[in-house]
Amino acid sequence: MKHACTPMFHPLRLLTLAAAMMFSVAHADDYTDVSQLMRAGKLPEALSKADQYLASKPKDPQMRFLKGVIQRDAGKTTDAIATFTHLTEDYPELPEPYNNLAVLYAGQSQFDKARAALEMAIRTNPSYSTAHENLGDVYAKLASQAYNKALQLDASNPAVAPKLALIRELFTPTGPKGQKSGIPAVSSPPSTPVAAKPPPVLPSPALAKAPVTAPPETAVAAVTPPPVAPATTSASGNDTKEAEAAVRSWASAWAAKDVKAYLAAYGREFAPPGSMKRSAWENERRERIISKSRISIKLENLNVTVNGNKATAKFRQNYKATGLAVSSIKTLDLAKSGDRWLIVRESTGS
Amino acid sequence: MHHRPPLSAIIEMGCPYLVATAVALALLGANPVHAAANKHLAKRAVHRQEAPVIRNTDGVAEARLINIYKLIGKAQNREALAKATQLVKDLPNFQLAQLVYGDLLAARGRPVDAIGDVPDTMAQAAGSNLSELREESKRRVNALREPPPPGTIPSQFIALSQRSRHAIAVDASKSRLYLFKNTPTGLNLVSDYYISVGKAGTSKTLEGDQRTPLGVYYITSNLDRKSLKDFYGSGALPINYPNMLDAKRGKTGSGIWLHGTPPSQFSRPPLATDGCVVLANPDLSHLVKTVEVRTTPVVIATQLHWVAPHSVRTEGKPFEDALHAWRNAKTAGDLKQILSFYTPDFNSNGKTLAQWTPTLKAELATVQGRTIQLKDISFLRWTDTSDTMVVTFGEVAEGIRTGLTKRQYWMRQDSQWKIFFEGVL
Repeated sequence: MKHACTPMFHPLRLLTLAAAMMFSVAHADDYTDVSQLMRAGKLPEALSKADQYLASKPKDPQMRFLKGVIQRDAGKTTDAIATFTHLTEDYPELPEPYNNLAVLYAGQSQFDKARAALEMAIRTNPSYSTAHENLGDVYAKLASQAYNKALQLDASNPAVAPKLALIRELFTPTGPKGQKSGIPAVSSPPSTPVAAKPPPVLPSPALAKAPVTAPPETAVAAVTPPPVAPATTSASGNDTKEAEAAVRSWASAWAAKDVKAYLAAYGREFAPPGSMKRSAWENERRERIISKSRISIKLENLNVTVNGNKATAKFRQNYKATGLAVSSIKTLDLAKSGDRWLIVRESTGS
Repeated sequence: MHHRPPLSAIIEMGCPYLVATAVALALLGANPVHAAANKHLAKRAVHRQEAPVIRNTDGVAEARLINIYKLIGKAQNREALAKATQLVKDLPNFQLAQLVYGDLLAARGRPVDAIGDVPDTMAQAAGSNLSELREESKRRVNALREPPPPGTIPSQFIALSQRSRHAIAVDASKSRLYLFKNTPTGLNLVSDYYISVGKAGTSKTLEGDQRTPLGVYYITSNLDRKSLKDFYGSGALPINYPNMLDAKRGKTGSGIWLHGTPPSQFSRPPLATDGCVVLANPDLSHLVKTVEVRTTPVVIATQLHWVAPHSVRTEGKPFEDALHAWRNAKTAGDLKQILSFYTPDFNSNGKTLAQWTPTLKAELATVQGRTIQLKDISFLRWTDTSDTMVVTFGEVAEGIRTGLTKRQYWMRQDSQWKIFFEGVL
């Protein structure tokens, strides 16, 4: 992509409190104090309080995040970039530091870097992709309203309101090197609908959107990659072909809006994203699929490796539906059950 | 990662969205025409003590729309969407703005390939509305892309006396109305507006044919908007269709007005009316405030030809000679010679040449050999299958304080110009 799109990055908004809401309440007082000092414009005090806290808990992502925001507000761009860069290194699964890095880079007219950071932000957190899809639906809805007014169509037959996906879980960061960070888990039960609206940062539409179906397992996948067995001779060519055929029929069922066949492509072991119940996930998928007037799924570079009765399919998925077009790298883990290859894991990102 | 092209990229790649519009417009500077119009109005507002100070809004909506096109052309979609959001908030009945707003929203989620890239089902339900909006967009943009060359005037305006303070010309093919101020140094274009004409186009012939007449007309009155239905918007300026040439040709129909738009539509499609010329309400209001009844000519042409003022004077010379020969004959008082200037089918408000000759004789008796002077001569040329002149002047005999204001219609027959209508205004 050329530089033509770069001006779009200008109005990026900095994330400030989004992360604060996402983390533990255990240290709420310290975070609140720093935030309040920050909001009151007492940046040196806020910074020294943050540093004081970090002296005892140097890894704490939330306070480091706040520190980066303070540095940015204080005009210490280089320091802020360093803080956020280190955060992305230690917590590669957090989208917010990437987003803020993008803001800082864009402020320096380093749009290529800003774009890369935003792509990472979208790629790392599936809840962002949900927000994108929601936003896409909302834009499509608004466009439809404008078109109705433009064409003077009768609006007495209101179009169906878009079904927006609820983000059901707050993101709980894992620590560096696969360790749980020192932060206690969020105390609220996972089923609590926490965020009914998209996150406060809306990346530019020029960016590719994260995939529609991305389950929030990418981060985990990145931390604990499935052991790659050396190529074995046990995988017959037939198995590879069958697994490939299973992936293709999954895609064509999706494109044909054949929900029954689509859902049947998933095995019993398949874990729906975000600790959703299987039935809730199925309902969500059904609604998402049938609400589209047309869907096109194209698979590119499909590469299937078979290891015994397990298979991994990697491909680029080009998804198009009314008001939305997304291209992404997808990985499907399949397991052979009887004579059928079924999806047991679905993840997105390279 | 694959990137969906944003709207801006589509334009850069030469896809059809607004290719005829935004890209070219990005090259346009500010619109000097409207700048001039604003200045002009400000001056008038000071001059007319009774006029309340009203902020001039003519042409503003279109300028805002064009600005959005320019932003799209410069790949500033975010800014374009913000401006479009504000425009449709201010003017929810501006359908073309709604369409562009819809495109900008849609472009956030999918490629937009054409102006009004609406879903197929909606396009079908909309009937002709979609193609009409696209045509409106094209015509608005083309009129701005191809403005008249500076210093030129429509070829019809050969001579316009200072009795006419303003003049109007309509180019139906461009859906554009041009407003001129007539200054001692010539006609100055002060503003131009998008307009709609008849559903069936132009060249009105019969009553109810839904066509807009072509020819040289004058504004005959200014109808009080309070007496009008909402349908006519901010006012109405009737013109004298059918004129004497139309009547000679047996054309029928009446009630051709310049008027505004109904509350439901900020502007109407290019071909939408029953024969009237329709302007957006702010534009029509500006015309109503600016132009004068009876002395403002309205030329309506399929296509205006813009020419240098000195060249039309040269072209008009043979006619001017004929007019002066008629005056000289009248000064000489030779009835036979005078009558040779009139066509056999001459008509003066229902009177044939024979029936009208006593009127001519009476005029000659009053003159009693004094030299006749023609003052404040205007002549507008209309050429279609015939070559005609619509002439207006004050006819004053030397030594007499006042004379008559006359209008004549002349027609060229081979190389001879002849009068087929004469009347006193």
